[in-house]
Amino acid sequence: MTADVNNIGTSLDFFVIVAIALFVIGAFGVLTRKNMIVLLMCIELMLNSVNLLLVTFSKYHGAADAQVFVFFIVVVAAAEATVGLSILIMAYRNRKSIDIELFNKLKD
Amino acid sequence: MDALIVIFITALIGLFVGMMKKPNLTLSISVLGQSAALVIMSYYGKYDSTFNEFEGIGFDAFHWLFAELVIGLSLLITISGFHYFKKEIDHLADYYGLLLFSLCGALVLIGSSNFFMFFLGVEILSIPVYVLVGIKKQNILSSEASIKYFFTGSFATAILLFGIAFVYGATGTFDFSSLQLIFDASSPMAIIGILFIFAALLFKIGAVPFHFWSPDVYEGSPDAVTAHMGTVVKVAGMAAIVTLFGHIFSAASGIVVPLFYVATIGSLFLGYLSALKQTNFRRLIAYSGISNTGFAMLTLFSGNYVSLWVFLLGYTAATLGLLTISQVLAKFNSSEIENWKGIGYKNPFLGIVLLICFLSLAGIPPMTGFFAKLILLINTYEQHPVMVYLTLLTSVIGAFLYVRFILIAFAKDSNAEKIAIHPLHLVVLSICALTVLFGWTLILF
Repeated sequence: MTADVNNIGTSLDFFVIVAIALFVIGAFGVLTRKNMIVLLMCIELMLNSVNLLLVTFSKYHGAADAQVFVFFIVVVAAAEATVGLSILIMAYRNRKSIDIELFNKLKD
Repeated sequence: MDALIVIFITALIGLFVGMMKKPNLTLSISVLGQSAALVIMSYYGKYDSTFNEFEGIGFDAFHWLFAELVIGLSLLITISGFHYFKKEIDHLADYYGLLLFSLCGALVLIGSSNFFMFFLGVEILSIPVYVLVGIKKQNILSSEASIKYFFTGSFATAILLFGIAFVYGATGTFDFSSLQLIFDASSPMAIIGILFIFAALLFKIGAVPFHFWSPDVYEGSPDAVTAHMGTVVKVAGMAAIVTLFGHIFSAASGIVVPLFYVATIGSLFLGYLSALKQTNFRRLIAYSGISNTGFAMLTLFSGNYVSLWVFLLGYTAATLGLLTISQVLAKFNSSEIENWKGIGYKNPFLGIVLLICFLSLAGIPPMTGFFAKLILLINTYEQHPVMVYLTLLTSVIGAFLYVRFILIAFAKDSNAEKIAIHPLHLVVLSICALTVLFGWTLILF
């Protein structure tokens, strides 16, 4: 099963590059944006880029287990978004804002 | 696996009984369920069970020790948090439900034998804790802590998944036993994968350079939740790191050992040096936790994992004892160290437990912390002597820090008001103190 990954075919190469680009865009968004809803969307983008990556590798290895993993990720991402949005609403009620930079009371 | 099911059902029942606002019944069910799980887990593998045949989760001798430890800790945490959540009756169900769901995640993570269960374990462990941190809904600090933990935590999850995807791309399998056989450290893709996984796991256990969330989150959450994060989550995370980087990816040790150096030394120094200037007790515990994580990671250099277990036993028992004392002092409504002045006179029992816990954290004989650290250092010395010298240097700083705190706790205070202890706190404190005092005898077995 240890195939030489450095010789991935051109078409698969393309998918991997797109997935990495999506991941980097998501990570960049998490680190720079201030609106918490956008932050949540960026995290979803990162998770979905992983889904694309897994499906690509699944195709490459000719095995379906990574596609099953994608379903796990989708379910967990939904659970995480639910919890995240509830936390966001709680924070909004206390602070009347969803700007993440206003939450700076806890520090050394 | 049977223990996992028992805990899950207990969590569901506790959730619904808690909603009926019957605190005593909820506590009884929760304690009963976890004690049953502890007993079932201690007979693991000694009887036939259909569920134990599930190939995704299995406990060998090493992981079994960790599973017993997390169930025992969680049992103590549910007891110690009762007094607080009896007053916050609206959140009783949340506490007893979510804490046990998180424990399920810890067990799944510890017992996982492929990346499916590993990933699910990490998530089931973390998601309830995001909610628990923000359980004081009206408190702005609590919601801030919750937000910080949630965003950094889900960011780490995404990084973990990215790493898993790359490891899968390089090897074509999620299964740990086949990964161990075919893992090829010369493939750049596999290396990228394990670096990402390593970063995410360092985040989960709160080690340098991904520790920045832990003081803020510890400060903002209730003591009982802080105790859960500082003990159960750390133990499960350490077990995961040791499984992956001690066994499965041992072929890549040439690449990861320099990273262990950075993370271990960084955690040890940064934790103790930042702890010196803290005035808030929970922040102090957070920084002490960071440096103790660094200490626990020494085990990755030596490969002696039983000493890791004894170390974690001493560390978690001491931390849980201190956070329970913090709950006894909760009437002051703040965790500033000022409030701890003279508690050794106000209540001698609290003073003795505090002394035992801090001496163990400082690594002074004959506490468990001392023997565990001694064995860890002896094992590390053969191959990495520099590491041992640096660790000893930080231990001196740590001892200074803890002894200074002990002096505060035993300082004369003109306000000689007595402090009363709730009976449940008394039970937890006694168990923690006895564990810290005599836990090291387990090394002999």
